[in-house]
Amino acid sequence: MPETVLAAESLTSGYGKAVICQDVSLALAEGEITCVIGPNGAGKSTLLKTIAGVVRPMSGSVRIAGREIAGLPAPRIARSGMAYVPQEANVFRQLTTHENLTMGAWTDPGRAEAACARVYGMFPDLKPLRRVRAGNLSGGQRQMVAFGMAMMLEPRVLLLDEPSAGLSPLMVRHMFDIVRRVNADGVAILMVEQNAIEGLRVAHRGIVMAAGRVALEGTAGALLDSSEVSELYLGTRA
Amino acid sequence: MSLQMIVNALVNAALIAPPAMAFSLLFGILRFPNFAIGGYITVGAFAAFTLNVPLGLPLPLAAAGAMAVTALVVWGAHVLVFRPMEGQSAITLLVVSIAVTLILENVIRLFYSADVRGFDIPLQRPWKVFGAHITPEQVEIIGWSLAIGVMLHLLLAHTRIGRAMRAVADNPMLAAIRGVNAGRVTAFTTAICGALFGLTGVFAGLDLVIEPLVGWNLTIPIFAAAILGGIGSPYGAILGALLVGLAEEATILVLPSTYKIAVGFVIIAVLLLVRPQGLFGTAEIKK
Repeated sequence: MPETVLAAESLTSGYGKAVICQDVSLALAEGEITCVIGPNGAGKSTLLKTIAGVVRPMSGSVRIAGREIAGLPAPRIARSGMAYVPQEANVFRQLTTHENLTMGAWTDPGRAEAACARVYGMFPDLKPLRRVRAGNLSGGQRQMVAFGMAMMLEPRVLLLDEPSAGLSPLMVRHMFDIVRRVNADGVAILMVEQNAIEGLRVAHRGIVMAAGRVALEGTAGALLDSSEVSELYLGTRA
Repeated sequence: MSLQMIVNALVNAALIAPPAMAFSLLFGILRFPNFAIGGYITVGAFAAFTLNVPLGLPLPLAAAGAMAVTALVVWGAHVLVFRPMEGQSAITLLVVSIAVTLILENVIRLFYSADVRGFDIPLQRPWKVFGAHITPEQVEIIGWSLAIGVMLHLLLAHTRIGRAMRAVADNPMLAAIRGVNAGRVTAFTTAICGALFGLTGVFAGLDLVIEPLVGWNLTIPIFAAAILGGIGSPYGAILGALLVGLAEEATILVLPSTYKIAVGFVIIAVLLLVRPQGLFGTAEIKK
């Protein structure tokens, strides 16, 4: 049995008094990709934000490799070996590509130089763009910068919020290739995807969220075959 | 436009460029136009005066002391006034910042009266360069202003804390996700900007006079320079300062010099109507 690197238990969170995620539990095993799917407004992004500490949990627990992080501020969670890539505004637009990557090693600046070299190896397309401001990059390039920034300190767990959003079909395939490659290096990934079919194809396991709760979970293959999933997707039960 | 006017414009620009950059930096981090800068500059001028005249310190030491005092005041105002009001609208914070200026100004008036004062420095004859007059103090102000521009650039572009300042100004949420402690960055920014306002107080005391309204009178040109350059863009603020300096001098060609003060207002009004993001900026001043 592989070790559980990220575990959430009865996690409830939201904004103000509005509860968005309700009593969500999940476990991410070492080296695994879990894809969270579900209709718009199901609370998928809020779930990731809560785990990353951007949204404060109202109750419940989040543990990384056994260590409790629920309720810690985001800058502390950034030191826990988990890296989060938000869906929007996931680069510093006024900073250059290179400066963005360097920000990914903020908590351990001594490793920045070697890490940059490694990330440029991962995304050779970024190397000629190192002095270009992230705000002037294309959507796909920005997504690579965001991803590269998160990979700087070789996290054990990666949280990806809709890595394919807004990308061209070619770029989407490229992005999922990268997700697979990073995962092959041993990084566990919890990924939210609007593009359910593509997302589940990359993943080992899947979680279907509806109305803030886990509606269904199982292996990615089983979910892809499940009629219930397509039903939820069409919104008939959500 | 005569050479003298260009010299005057340069001195004006040198006086308002550093505080305009500081204003821009503060706006970038705290997201509201801070009109307490008038009070901060006045505090700087009077701190330097106190150290220089009653206490008899040489002016460079007094200036360093004034920078430290003002840095402390700006940081203190942030901790005591603005931080507790976090989450309020920019317009609320703007009004509060005007109140802070009035409070600082009147506390100073209470202790120092409204008398006009000057530093204890030997009166120097202005130099004549191709028929234009320029005092040695004015040359020093221009020199320091340039040096401050270079130092701020080095700080922002080539240091870890400078990168963090830009990152927090750009995307505070992402900065937190990457581990940046925004509280520390904010404290550092307020202190650096405070030191610049303090130094501006010293320069204003050298070039103009020391009185409780010295900062307030500079507020509008500084604000105009900052939004002309694009609020939140410290480099734009330098160019903004030059343009405001030139515009103020050019006004004297056609209008009595008492109207000079109106130039800042006109620039602000026109910009807010036509190009709220300034010449280079991306952020807009919003109601």
